[in-house]
Amino acid sequence: MSPLVEGFSALLEPTVLLCIAAGALLGMLVGAFPGVTATMAVALASGFTLALDPLPGLAVLLTIYVASNFGDRVPAILVNTPGTPASIATTFDGYAMARKGQAGLALTSSAFASAWGTLVGVVLLMVAAIPLSRLALNFGPAEMFALVVFGLTMMIGVSGGKVLKGLMAGALGLLLATVGRDPITGTQRFTFGIPELTDGIPFIAAIIGLFGIAEVMNQVLTHRRDAVVKPITDFGRWFPRRSDWRTMLKPLAVGSGVGGVVGVIPATGGDIAGILGWDQARRLSKRPEEFGKGSLEGITAADTSSNATLGGSVTTTLALGLPGDSVMAVMIGSMVVWGIQPGPSLFANQPDLVFSIAGIMLIATVLALVVSVLRMRGVAKLLELPHHFLWAVILVFCMVGTYAVGNSVFDVAVMLVFGIIGLFLRRFGIPPGPVVLGLILGSLAEGNLRRALEIGGVGTIVTSPIAVGLLVVSALALAAPLLRAAWRRRSAAKQDTDATVR
Amino acid sequence: MSSPQKQPDAPPAEEAARPASRARELVPAAAGVALGLATFALALQIPEGTRLTQFSPRWWPQVLSLLLVGLSLVHGTVSLLRPRQADEDAPDPSTRQGSLRLIAMVAAIVGYGVLWYFVDFRVSTAILVAALAYLGGGRGWKALLAFPVVVTAVLYLLFGVLLRVPL
Repeated sequence: MSPLVEGFSALLEPTVLLCIAAGALLGMLVGAFPGVTATMAVALASGFTLALDPLPGLAVLLTIYVASNFGDRVPAILVNTPGTPASIATTFDGYAMARKGQAGLALTSSAFASAWGTLVGVVLLMVAAIPLSRLALNFGPAEMFALVVFGLTMMIGVSGGKVLKGLMAGALGLLLATVGRDPITGTQRFTFGIPELTDGIPFIAAIIGLFGIAEVMNQVLTHRRDAVVKPITDFGRWFPRRSDWRTMLKPLAVGSGVGGVVGVIPATGGDIAGILGWDQARRLSKRPEEFGKGSLEGITAADTSSNATLGGSVTTTLALGLPGDSVMAVMIGSMVVWGIQPGPSLFANQPDLVFSIAGIMLIATVLALVVSVLRMRGVAKLLELPHHFLWAVILVFCMVGTYAVGNSVFDVAVMLVFGIIGLFLRRFGIPPGPVVLGLILGSLAEGNLRRALEIGGVGTIVTSPIAVGLLVVSALALAAPLLRAAWRRRSAAKQDTDATVR
Repeated sequence: MSSPQKQPDAPPAEEAARPASRARELVPAAAGVALGLATFALALQIPEGTRLTQFSPRWWPQVLSLLLVGLSLVHGTVSLLRPRQADEDAPDPSTRQGSLRLIAMVAAIVGYGVLWYFVDFRVSTAILVAALAYLGGGRGWKALLAFPVVVTAVLYLLFGVLLRVPL
């Protein structure tokens, strides 16, 4: 049987379909709640999906990933608050449209653009995943080490210009990954006689702590009782007219291109792609002056672009073993527990898995689109739910979910400790993404670096064109934000001097 | 992380930025140095084994410890030397009430861990949810009675019955 038929037919199991439906509902809900990101939701869901078989478990997590990228547009459009970082660019024109009495049109056109973007990404996944993994199969220890460095630096390089803090976070993650057995000799390190630490820090607990508990703690710490959000109530017309569709064509194309490219780059997600897609569409538009003031072109480009990254992110994650974005970094943790090791050999051994994953994402997209178009009013009502309900639910689900992974109270304690670490990181502007990435990829980095050095010293790395290429790109990714910041400072200083002279 | 953007008419990229705090830069640098030095010292206690390979099990943790110390020192020095700039990512300021609420919530969670050991999951979880809802500002029978019962029932059905987790 061909991998395509085999992959798609695996989805006909009622359990898988039920999991997709549950994931779609959950994804829409978490996306619609500002403060609950897709990363956090997937981390939370990891707790209870680990008891499922891999395919139904993947169905829940992937569908949450897809559907949250639909639900998050609702608060972005109605209260100018992105439901998840991926919908930051949606606020640029979405809220302005809502204020002009076009909230209904903004919500539906955003849903159609998101669906189109996701479909483009899924096609990319089906076409590129297997060839990319076959290429990566030729990688030795030197190339694998360089690939891990590349993934880490890409996440650091895009962490909002905070390169040094990103590097510190990456080093911390790698250091945390040294807890447990040495990958070559098996010697115990930093276990302090605690048997639960022999296999390393339980990363699902750490991830739930860093993304779930820390976020709730931060919200509790900063919440003000008078911070009442009043959503838009005048929705206007809902469906785009023929002229609207014509207006949307060009930004759909621009967003697809930008999102497809950004998605394949490790560690870059929908937030960056949305902003880049919006900016490119503005540059190419005949009416750039309308962007940011309620432009249908703007919202279409932003949402198409941010959603087109999903397929690319999955491709990079599964074919190379490098997380495409922070959600994928969390998902890798679950996959490893299921015995699915993302990386070059995954698709070579199980090509049908590409099509199963693509199928899950396709069904999830259709479901999320239907829910978006039919129930937007209902989802909008969620914005009025008080915070104390949300906090209590998240905290209790995090705790019970973490316990459920290994029936271990120790894991819950680890989660709580990582929650406090995550709060510290947030309050002091250190991105948690590189910590997770370092924790997940640490053993791979150490093992491959040591093997490469044992084989032929540093020469093994510097004589490999692929390894050198990846390391050079990594260095550029780190240097670019620093150089850009220096250039901006110099330009600003020059402008100040010119103004003083005049 | 998503944060409310309260200025409806402001152009997209023009959000108000607060001045950067020195402590926000120096505290992580100091923490990084302390953690790096501590892990370096701890790494010295890792048994070297029979040295079958060129690199001892200490090597990688020590490299990373020194890397963390170096990066933290560079970060601290840069923050001290660089003039203070607007920090676009400065977090919302914490409130006294929020700090107290957070401490109480963490205490409730730790207390739950102890209570769960002695009392049935359904009872201890309902008490925890009610406590968390109360600390979050919830009042009345819906928040303190109906909500904890529903959440506990959903958790028990999902984890205890469907996924057969021994709760």
